[in-house]
Amino acid sequence: MTLHSKIVIIGSGFAGLGMGIQLKRSGRADFVILERAQDVGGTWRDNHYPGVACDVPSHLYSFSYLPKPDWSRVFSPGPEIQAYMRQCAEDEGLMPHIRFGTEMLACRWDEDSALWTIETSQGDYTCNVLITGTGHLADSHMPKIPGIESFPGDLFHSADWNHEVALEGRRIGVVGSGASAIQIIPEMQKVAGELVVFQRSAPYMIPRWDRAFSEGEKRMFRRDPSTVEAMRSEIFWAGEYNFAQRRNVPRFLNEAKAMALGNLERNVADPDLRARLTPNYEVGCKRLLISNAYYPAMCAENTRLEASALAKIEGSTVYGASGESYDLDVLVFATGFEAVRPPFAARVFGREGISLDAHWDKGMQAYDSIAVHGYPNLFIINGPNTGLGHNSVVYIIEAQVNYILEALDHLEQNQVRLFEAAAEAEDAYMDRLQGRAEGTVWLAGGCKSWYVDERSGRLTLVWPDYAHSFRDENGHFHPEGYEMVPGPLAAE
Amino acid sequence: MLDDLKYRDGEVSVAGVRVRYRVAGPDNDRTPLVLVHGTAGSVDGHFGYIFPMMAYRQKVIALDWSDTEGATLELADLVAQVRAVIGDAVPVGPVTLLGYSLGACVAAQTAAELPGKVANLILVAGWLKTDTHQQMRNRIWRALRDQDSASITEYMTFCAFSPGFMNMKSLPEMVAAAGMLKMSGFVDRQMDLNTRIDIAEACETITAKTLVIGCTFDMMVPKHHSKQLFGAIEDARYTEIPSGHAVVHERAAELFHHIDMFTRAPGAHPAGTIIPAQKP
Ligand SMILES: Cc1cc2nc3c(=O)[nH]c(=O)nc-3n(C[C@H](O)[C@H](O)[C@H](O)COP(=O)(O)OP(=O)(O)OC[C@H]3O[C@@H](n4cnc5c(N)ncnc54)[C@H](O)[C@@H]3O)c2cc1C
Repeated sequence: MTLHSKIVIIGSGFAGLGMGIQLKRSGRADFVILERAQDVGGTWRDNHYPGVACDVPSHLYSFSYLPKPDWSRVFSPGPEIQAYMRQCAEDEGLMPHIRFGTEMLACRWDEDSALWTIETSQGDYTCNVLITGTGHLADSHMPKIPGIESFPGDLFHSADWNHEVALEGRRIGVVGSGASAIQIIPEMQKVAGELVVFQRSAPYMIPRWDRAFSEGEKRMFRRDPSTVEAMRSEIFWAGEYNFAQRRNVPRFLNEAKAMALGNLERNVADPDLRARLTPNYEVGCKRLLISNAYYPAMCAENTRLEASALAKIEGSTVYGASGESYDLDVLVFATGFEAVRPPFAARVFGREGISLDAHWDKGMQAYDSIAVHGYPNLFIINGPNTGLGHNSVVYIIEAQVNYILEALDHLEQNQVRLFEAAAEAEDAYMDRLQGRAEGTVWLAGGCKSWYVDERSGRLTLVWPDYAHSFRDENGHFHPEGYEMVPGPLAAE
Repeated sequence: MLDDLKYRDGEVSVAGVRVRYRVAGPDNDRTPLVLVHGTAGSVDGHFGYIFPMMAYRQKVIALDWSDTEGATLELADLVAQVRAVIGDAVPVGPVTLLGYSLGACVAAQTAAELPGKVANLILVAGWLKTDTHQQMRNRIWRALRDQDSASITEYMTFCAFSPGFMNMKSLPEMVAAAGMLKMSGFVDRQMDLNTRIDIAEACETITAKTLVIGCTFDMMVPKHHSKQLFGAIEDARYTEIPSGHAVVHERAAELFHHIDMFTRAPGAHPAGTIIPAQKP
């Protein structure tokens, strides 16, 4: 049996929930949210590793229209964020719209009926408008390590933490030194007999201004919502300030570098260890990481730093690229996510029957970072050129949700059954973005390899400007960039 | 250096003194933006953020004031320097003129004198007429200066930043920031000029499309001054940034946002609009 909804949303992370809430609030009830897992939360449901927390203060990293006066800390732990998201979904009456345990397997556009058909693990759906909110950091990246299958101990990815595995007193290896790794490592150091950290490149790290909120503060936030609003704005604009680093202005790069290297110097006394924890690339190439616990953990007696990538595994012996070897019981891969080629794209087939992934064989691109020529009646949230290195992703999601709401208003008012980004508009948008990206840390000098899609030499993940500029430019629907076919909406 | 921002330095002579300026950014459909710093400022000191960031959007020109020969420093001296730089750097076509603090008074006066040339005007934390509150602060400053007090830079820093901003820093950090301020005879002369500003009449004649930006927690030039400018200038719109007087440091990115929006489309908001803050 095929079920029809006017709108189908894939995913129930911040993107899917934010979209659903606003559909509901705008009086639209004819939608479903398909979610492969059994709960809402996306990133925050899947990442339950020890130490998981956000890197943007919670009062900003949350929906602007659903403030939470009683966040426990400046940077709240992951489970609290997921609980907040579930509460939002419940309070806004979203739960009845969500189909859990329903994995989208393929979406196919049918030109004649102007409908998307969605094959799922729980039967088929059709819809007039398809919205993907499948996340840009939802699918784990596992590096291909020779001999990995021979490892007799416990091995898992950070986003798939196996809490059954006993860690106390064991020899634990953590692979990676990115945002997740630096949260996990201090927790592992506390319990491990021996901890080995495989670090391909050292991160730049600055202090984390974290603390618990007092009961009095929470009451103040509850009693006077303007205090929450003022804090949100303060956090947001402080984050925006840091875009000058991304924009590659020497003065601000140097400011950040001095802060990070000063932090390293204060926390790591041993000159040899300090040298190996010093990044060998320009600041700004990668996200500045924030932690107070990482350096102390790296200095601990039971920690060893392997300052090279994990190279191969032979049984329980694990080798760094340097040739150094370690015998380990547990191996944690904090190696990040598939971002350059998001898996959902291989499952969405447009007018020509070609998958988005194949269509994007030269790298992702979308008009207004949201719609793709050849893929009518589709909006992609958190897709090409939406990533930020310096501010809250929820802010970007809200801008995109607003864009879609305005689009829906337009389509309804003008009785449009089919809309599609114009090829010229899409190319012109991408040219503008690339022009703007010139000279940023992402394209200039030694940083290129981190961000550029090697197939096209273009920046495809990152929004190369301020977050507020994203909202200014992509927070409102631009009908002029679309081809539209009038007519009544099909319904099955 | 990774940075690709290219700039050129220029220089003009006016009334026997040389005035240096800096130009960067592409020619495009935006009107060239001229930046005028405030008391004890410089291009780097007040526009270290705005200059390079705006230069990625459009052509930007910024000048450093030079001390003059006269017995006292007069508003007209600084206006002459700004006019000379505009004439040299943008001989044809209109400009958008931005002034900060005392620079806003200079910019407003310049706009009144060059109605065709200054098409758009941005006044950040400026004022119309020095009032008792300002005179009182200036008097304390004068006393500290006469005593050659080491506290003078800390007093200036205390007045410049909002409590909220200061409380995100530690006391040693704020003291270190104060230590960066340098006193000079030229600063003394600017402080004296600050006690004698009255551009009320000139403002009535300004025809430029104007954006007035007040700072909510400004203790040096409290926001009521910006409201007065908003009232006095015919084609003005107003917005506020929740910061102290040192908005160029405290809320540099938010200030950038307002400048960027206005220079992109100066007429987007009709005269008289109070533009709401963006709620993130
Ligand atoms: C550990 C970690 C910390 C982070 N911290 C921050 C931070 O501090 N600040 C910040 O701004 N960002 C942070 N991020 C980025 C974070 O991913 C985004 O902020 C945000 O959560 C993305 O929301 P989303 O809804 O787009 O995607 P997700 O949260 O990834 O949700 C996608 C949902 O889609 C579902 N889905 C995917 N494919 C299918 C399919 N085929 N069928 C059905 N359902 C599907 C998934 O199960 C998931 O529930 C962090 C990410 C991680 C991993």
